[in-house]
Amino acid sequence: MTLRRRDLVRWLGAGAALAALPRPLYAAAAAPSEYFIFIHAAGGWDVTLWADPRVEKRGLVDPASTENTEIAPLTRWKSATLDGDTQTFAPLTASDSKLVLGPGIGDLWDVRSRLTVINGLAMNTVSHPDGTAFCATGRHLAGGRSPASSIDVALANELGTEQLLPAVAVQFPSAFVGDRLDRRAVPLRVSSAATIAKSLSRGTGYLDVTDRDAITALLSGEARELATRVTFPETFARVAAQEDALPRLLGDELAQAFTQKALQAAHPRFDYKARFQAQGALSAAFAVEAIKRDLVRCVGFALGGLDTHNQNYKQHAHTQQELFGVIATLVAELDATPHPTRHAAKLADHTHILVFSDFCRTPQINLAGGRDHYPNNSMLVISPKFRGGQSFGATDVEQVLPADVASLGRPLAPPDVLATFLHAFGIEPRTYLRDGDVIPEMLV
Amino acid sequence: MTPNDLGPLAGDGVKVVKLAVLALVAGCGASAIEPSAPRALPAHTTAMVDASPKERRRLVPPEVYLRAYLTWFGGLAPLDVQARARGRGMFDAWDDYLAALGLPDYRADLPRAAQSNTLMLATLGRLGEALCSRAVEHDLHGKPPAVTARVVFAFEVTPAEPTDPELAARIDVLHRTFLGYPLALAPPARASKLEALYRAVVAHHAGVKKPVLSPAETGWVAVCSALVQHPEAELY
Repeated sequence: MTLRRRDLVRWLGAGAALAALPRPLYAAAAAPSEYFIFIHAAGGWDVTLWADPRVEKRGLVDPASTENTEIAPLTRWKSATLDGDTQTFAPLTASDSKLVLGPGIGDLWDVRSRLTVINGLAMNTVSHPDGTAFCATGRHLAGGRSPASSIDVALANELGTEQLLPAVAVQFPSAFVGDRLDRRAVPLRVSSAATIAKSLSRGTGYLDVTDRDAITALLSGEARELATRVTFPETFARVAAQEDALPRLLGDELAQAFTQKALQAAHPRFDYKARFQAQGALSAAFAVEAIKRDLVRCVGFALGGLDTHNQNYKQHAHTQQELFGVIATLVAELDATPHPTRHAAKLADHTHILVFSDFCRTPQINLAGGRDHYPNNSMLVISPKFRGGQSFGATDVEQVLPADVASLGRPLAPPDVLATFLHAFGIEPRTYLRDGDVIPEMLV
Repeated sequence: MTPNDLGPLAGDGVKVVKLAVLALVAGCGASAIEPSAPRALPAHTTAMVDASPKERRRLVPPEVYLRAYLTWFGGLAPLDVQARARGRGMFDAWDDYLAALGLPDYRADLPRAAQSNTLMLATLGRLGEALCSRAVEHDLHGKPPAVTARVVFAFEVTPAEPTDPELAARIDVLHRTFLGYPLALAPPARASKLEALYRAVVAHHAGVKKPVLSPAETGWVAVCSALVQHPEAELY
C-alpha cells in the first residue's frame, strides 16, 4: 500500500487536533462529587499563636504574652509563667492528636483529629500580594500579575466545568491564566456573597421569568449563529454557553437563596455579628449553601484583619480565634449537611478545605508593639484525603524560619502543598504548577 | 558658396525650407501621439494579502460598555443612571456591582477581571433591563414626548398592532442605536427573531391585570433588553 501525501497530511492534522483537545473534555466525564473551599486568611497570620506555638524567649522569639496580647476573649488560653508576672500560654495538646497548637486555634481545636497543619513554608517574600499569589498559585507575581492559575481555577478546570458556577471567589485571589483552560472555569470574583444575589435578582413589574428566558434564548441563538460566521468562533461560543446558564441563575430560587437574610436564616450557627469576621461568616454560609445545591465546585473566600503592625496586635489572637471559629462552624455545617448527589453521604466527607495566609509575622515584637511581615508561613488542610491530627514541616527554634525537610533536602514551600492537593484528586500537578513536589506522607 | 552668393532668392528660399520642415513636424506629430489611458505596469510576482482577523473577539472593557450605556440612554452621568435605574428592585448602587461588572474594586482590593463570566453577563443584563424599562416609561408610556425628544424609541407608535413591515422599521431604529448598523445588514434571521420576541412578549402580557406598562410597551422593553445584551454589543 502506498501512502499518498494528501492522506499523510490528513492523518497528521487529525492527530494534531486530537492532541489539542482540552483536558476538561476528559475530566468532565469523571462526574466528580468532590467540593473545595479555599480560605485566604488575609493580612499575614502569627503562626506562633496557633500552628507553630512558641512559649519561651529564645533568639529572636518574643512569645505572645499578657504584655502584648489581650487574653480575656481567648477561650483556649491557659496561662503559664513566662517571666516574673508576665504570663504566656500553655500549648494545646491532646492524647488523640499529635498536634501541638496555640490558643489562636479557638474552637477548631475540637476537630483537631481532622486538621493537617503544614509549618515552615518558605515564602521568599514579605509582600502581601506576592505572598498571597504564591500561596494561591505556587508562583510569585511577575510584573504585578500572576503567571499561573490559582488552585481553585485548576480544580474547577479539571473537575468543575459541568457545574453552573465552577469557581466562585469572594475576595479570594483567584487567577485564571492560560489559553488551554476551559473558559467555563473563569472564576466569578465578587466583593461579597450578597453581590451574587443582587446580580441575579431582577426588577418586578416589567419583564418576568418567561420573557427573560425568551431573551436569553434569542441571545444564545444569536451568539451561536455568529460563531458560525467568524474566523475565531470560541468567543461567541463561550458567550452562548454563558447565556445558556443564565436562565438557571436568574430563577427567583437562587436569587432568594443567596440574599444575606436568606443565608443567615439557613445557617444560623455562624456568628454574623462577630467583631472581625462577620463578613467572612456570610461567605462561609454562601459556600455551604452553594455546595448543598450542587451549584459550585470551588468556593474561595477571605477572612481578614490579621495585618497587625502596631498596638492592634493585641487583638491578633482574638482575630485568629474568630477566623478559626468560622472554619469550625463551617466544618460543623458540612458535617450536618447531606451530600447533594451521593446517597447517605455527608458534605464533610467530600469537601476539602485549604486555608492559607500571605505569610507569617515576625517572631520579635517591634517598637510599636506589633509584629511585621516575615517570610515563613503555615497552611491548614481539612480533608478526608489528608492525614488528620498531624503537622508537617518545621521551623528553627530561634528565628522561626523554615527548616529543611529531610526527604527534600530543603524546606517545604506553598507549591509543595498545592502539588500534593492536586495529586490527591488524581490531577497531574505539572499541568498547573511549575514547582512543587508531591508529599505522599501528607495523604491518607 | 555663401548665402550672399544665392542672390535675391536666398531669403525666400530659407523661409520655404523652414515652412516645409514645420509642416513635416506638425504632420508627423499629429499621427504619432494618440490620447490613451496609462497601462498597468506588468506584475513581477503575486503577493497574497491576508485580510483575515488575527485576534479573537473580546468582551469590551467594562468602562466602554458602561460608557455606551450612558450614551444610549440619554447622555447620562453615572449617578444619573443610578438614580434612573433605581426602584422596583431593578438596580441600587454602582458600588455593589464593581467586581461583578469586571471593574477593579479598590475597597475590597479586587483587581480588574480579565475574563468575562456568567455573573458579569447577568449583572450587565440587570442594568440593561432597568434602563430599558425606564426608557420605555419616558419615551412611550402615558403621554410620550415628541419623537425628536425621545431618548431611545425614536419612532411613532400607533395604537393598532404594528404590521410586520412597521415592526421591522421600528426594530431597525433600535438596532441602529445599539448595534450601530441597519437591521437589513444583519444575518437574515435576526429581524424575524426580534419580531417574534416582541410579539411573544406582547401576547404573554396581554391578559395581565393592572400592568405597569402596556403589553406593547413591555414588548419594547424586551427588544431593547435583548439588543443591549446582544453579543455584538458586548464584543469587539
